[in-house]
Amino acid sequence: MHRYEIEILKSLESGKELSLNELVEKSGVNRDGVLWALENLSQLGAVAVARKSSEEVHLTDEGKEYAKSHLPETELLQKAAKKNINVGTLSDARSRIGLQWAKAKQLIQIDSGIVKITQKGREALDRGIEEEYVLVKLGENPSLYPALLREKKQEIENLLRRKLIAVEKRNEIEGITITAKGKQMLSAETKHEAEIDALDRRMIASQGWRDKKFKRYDVSVHVEPEVPARMHPLRETINEVKAAYTNMGFHEASGPIVVPAFWNFDTLFTPQDHPAREAQDTFYLSNPAQLAIAEKGIVSKVKTQQEGAWHSDWLEKIAMQAVLRTQMTTVSIQELYNLPKYKDYRLPLKIFSIGRVFRNENVDYKHLTDFYQTDGIVIGENLTLANLFDTLIKIYSKSLGLKIRFKPAYFPFVEPGVEVQAYHKGRGEWMEMMGAGILRREITGIAKKNISVLAWGASVERLLLIKQPDIERLSDLYNNGIGWIRQR
Amino acid sequence: MVNSTFNKSYLFKLLGTKLLDKKLEELIMKMGFDVEGHTKEEVQIDFPANRPDLIDIVGFARAARNFMHKGREIRYETQSTTPEFEIEVGTAVKDIRPFISGMVVKGIKFDEESLRHLLNFTEKFTSNFGRGRRKLAIGLHDLSSVEPPLVYDAIPDETFLALNMPKSMKFSQILSSSDKGKAYASTLQGSKLYPAVKDAKGAISLVPILNSERTKVTASTNSMFIEITGTNRYAVEKSADLFASIFIDMGAKVLPIKVRYGNSSTILPKMEETQIKIPLIKIESQIGVIIGFNNVISLANKMGYKAGLLGRDIKFWVPTYRLDVINDQDVVEDIAIGYGYDYIQPVPVFAEQVGELEESSKRNARLSETMLGLGFSEALNSFMSNEETNFAKMRLAKPASSYVKVRDAKMQQITMLRTWVIPSLLSNIGMSLHEKMPQRLFETDYAFTIDKKINEVQNLAGVITDPKANFNQIKSVVESVMRSIGAQYQIRESLHRSFIEGRSASIILNGNEIGVFGELHPEVLVNFGIEEPSVAFEISL
Repeated sequence: MHRYEIEILKSLESGKELSLNELVEKSGVNRDGVLWALENLSQLGAVAVARKSSEEVHLTDEGKEYAKSHLPETELLQKAAKKNINVGTLSDARSRIGLQWAKAKQLIQIDSGIVKITQKGREALDRGIEEEYVLVKLGENPSLYPALLREKKQEIENLLRRKLIAVEKRNEIEGITITAKGKQMLSAETKHEAEIDALDRRMIASQGWRDKKFKRYDVSVHVEPEVPARMHPLRETINEVKAAYTNMGFHEASGPIVVPAFWNFDTLFTPQDHPAREAQDTFYLSNPAQLAIAEKGIVSKVKTQQEGAWHSDWLEKIAMQAVLRTQMTTVSIQELYNLPKYKDYRLPLKIFSIGRVFRNENVDYKHLTDFYQTDGIVIGENLTLANLFDTLIKIYSKSLGLKIRFKPAYFPFVEPGVEVQAYHKGRGEWMEMMGAGILRREITGIAKKNISVLAWGASVERLLLIKQPDIERLSDLYNNGIGWIRQR
Repeated sequence: MVNSTFNKSYLFKLLGTKLLDKKLEELIMKMGFDVEGHTKEEVQIDFPANRPDLIDIVGFARAARNFMHKGREIRYETQSTTPEFEIEVGTAVKDIRPFISGMVVKGIKFDEESLRHLLNFTEKFTSNFGRGRRKLAIGLHDLSSVEPPLVYDAIPDETFLALNMPKSMKFSQILSSSDKGKAYASTLQGSKLYPAVKDAKGAISLVPILNSERTKVTASTNSMFIEITGTNRYAVEKSADLFASIFIDMGAKVLPIKVRYGNSSTILPKMEETQIKIPLIKIESQIGVIIGFNNVISLANKMGYKAGLLGRDIKFWVPTYRLDVINDQDVVEDIAIGYGYDYIQPVPVFAEQVGELEESSKRNARLSETMLGLGFSEALNSFMSNEETNFAKMRLAKPASSYVKVRDAKMQQITMLRTWVIPSLLSNIGMSLHEKMPQRLFETDYAFTIDKKINEVQNLAGVITDPKANFNQIKSVVESVMRSIGAQYQIRESLHRSFIEGRSASIILNGNEIGVFGELHPEVLVNFGIEEPSVAFEISL
């Protein structure tokens, strides 16, 4: 008899009925070992196994595919939101399925051959489609099935009808008892325990193993793999970014998250009536509502600069409003205005920072309230757009492995302004990766005369999404499902 | 970004040439803008917020013609210097919406398409650049129905037949019942008086809400009076230049008006061109390429500037419709765009500096390594929290003001910044019930408290959830972490409502409590939906 079989019979010896979990616990044999042994033992008539049936759900191949990306109707909606789609051009199977379901759910209507999004469709675009939510949830955690069946019956039925999920009836073990024959077998077995099972310290030292045989084990028995501890995928990307910058000679800087609007907007040439400053986009605080600005000299220079450029009054009390920083340039500008702290520095001086920034958003699969940004500046004399391009190519292309290109763009604090786009292989499209440019002289002049400053701010999450195309939803990154972290 | 939709056949008429979709897209990209999408009839383009002169089809076509070197010789100026009539500004409007500008336009030829584009542009311009009509609003009137003299003032409630309304209504009624009234009533900040433009016969515009039906502009209108009102004088007057340029491009004549504020008066639109002088070397040394005098002038023309040599400098005339050009850096950007970013060869920056991480970065990397070695996986959580999660679920009373509170969050469950990390980790574990035990999770990131000043501190926290979890287990983790930091610390029994009494302790460093650990109270576990015993620690670094 195998060791596992003996352990199980021993655990059952008292005659009391045990559940599978109790048996695993008591016997000290792992779950798969117990199942394997019970199979043998019940065939031999040594144990009686009582079973009950239960339902278990799993995603079909089609279901898995959609759970990874989107339901075809969501894809259609997203396409239709971007541009007008003629129904005639939807020829592939997936689009046709999408069309059929989107119509059935009244997410769209067809208006002289063109797909038009309905009110319901627009809501679905904003909030996602319930059915998709249920599908993804079941994919992540099938044990939610009974709960979801209660709460989302309609969606579950639809998914079954669409053959995106399948339900399997399973036999589960309810209780195990030892039979009379089992007891006989156990007493026969215990009589000849001459073979060595587990090796121990004493036996090694005493060389007691020399005149005995080792019991043979079944090496094909299934065991559960160990779960490794893992670093968060986003942290890995952050570390990669830090290495890329320090390899290029950049000095790391950091700064406060809670700042007066002054450091987030005013010093960055953003007029006080700029839409980005509204509570719609920026988190303002009620405690503390205001923060003092210690650097009075800079305050008066910023006032003069803003009133000159925007032809309207500049109020310190608006600049004192406490906000959560919305961009890491907040750190760069404080470094720039505090250059003397870099002792004996020589230009050009390269500084970078990486940290959390905040936006007042409704969290969904592509919007987050807090996320990471990297900001870089190079302070020098007569630095050029050509220098900026070279610096970004070295960091993001040579070091971090992206395919990037440069486009003209407008940001209030740089001139010229550049949008850097990176190619996303999985999606086959160019994505906005960062804003860059040469800081306006109005800004650099406050720090030091006759310097030019290259500056850029890049999304870290975008970098991760481009480098790891299997991560599709930004929100996945901050759910911290233990299974998700362990498997990555 | 501002999104504009243009009719292609109208655009091609203005461009004087037809372009295939691919060519049109290429042109737009090279000019520095994004094509958002197009259909057979229309093209949708994203423009940056600082270029209102482009979100109108006529202004865009002007820029595109220049960019293709097909620009026309047009003088953007008024036809005479004598004002057509005067607008008197009353004193009551001073505190609500003090400024007005405008012009008279004659000989304009509309069709349905061009009128529709103009009205769309006006709407977009006032909503974006005019900050939802608060800063700026524009009224277009058929000149043949306007009877000077004109007055701009804030006046008491009166009856008025507004544009496209079935019947006359009081101002107050329009504000409370019409769509436009409801949308823009807030710009009046609850004033009892209503800003309005009046001619000899009565109000022609309830500013910034609706014009009168009497002065309605239609496709058959051939002369117009334009009024622009707002709170920022520079923007109000400069916008008149922008609109005048569009009408001139459409082949109409623009004539000035006089605006009188008490004893002083101005003739508008001013149509002044700013001049900026830049040495060639300064242009080349910002872009990083050798361009040469002649090429800079040709690139300037391509970007809509007149330019000429002046010794070693180049003199640029900034077109009057450009509201965004502040100094030479703006002009240099245009030259760079004209040159083409794709043709700028990267040039390395030479610096002696050696790269280095901050001390806190290095310390966190070492701590992460220790935690991973101890079998903890890493979590990264949002810093946003609420009183329920941060305090109540942890069996703690909410303090009055020792934490950072957020206001007006779009998500109701966001009210504050977390004061500690353990609640975040417990939320994660509560969602991972089905995962294999033991579950060990850590996070090293910011938490926020206030005592006189705001403390933004990096904390290290860890949680173990396991049927066999106990105090000694978490104590041995804490000992291991503290030793890796190399600090002289003490451990003292403490009372903390989140933990079971008699099973929690403080970590003391130099007499200060820097951390806490122990067996979590079963009520806390229930609050987070955790079904197994759990132990936790948190240390402020």
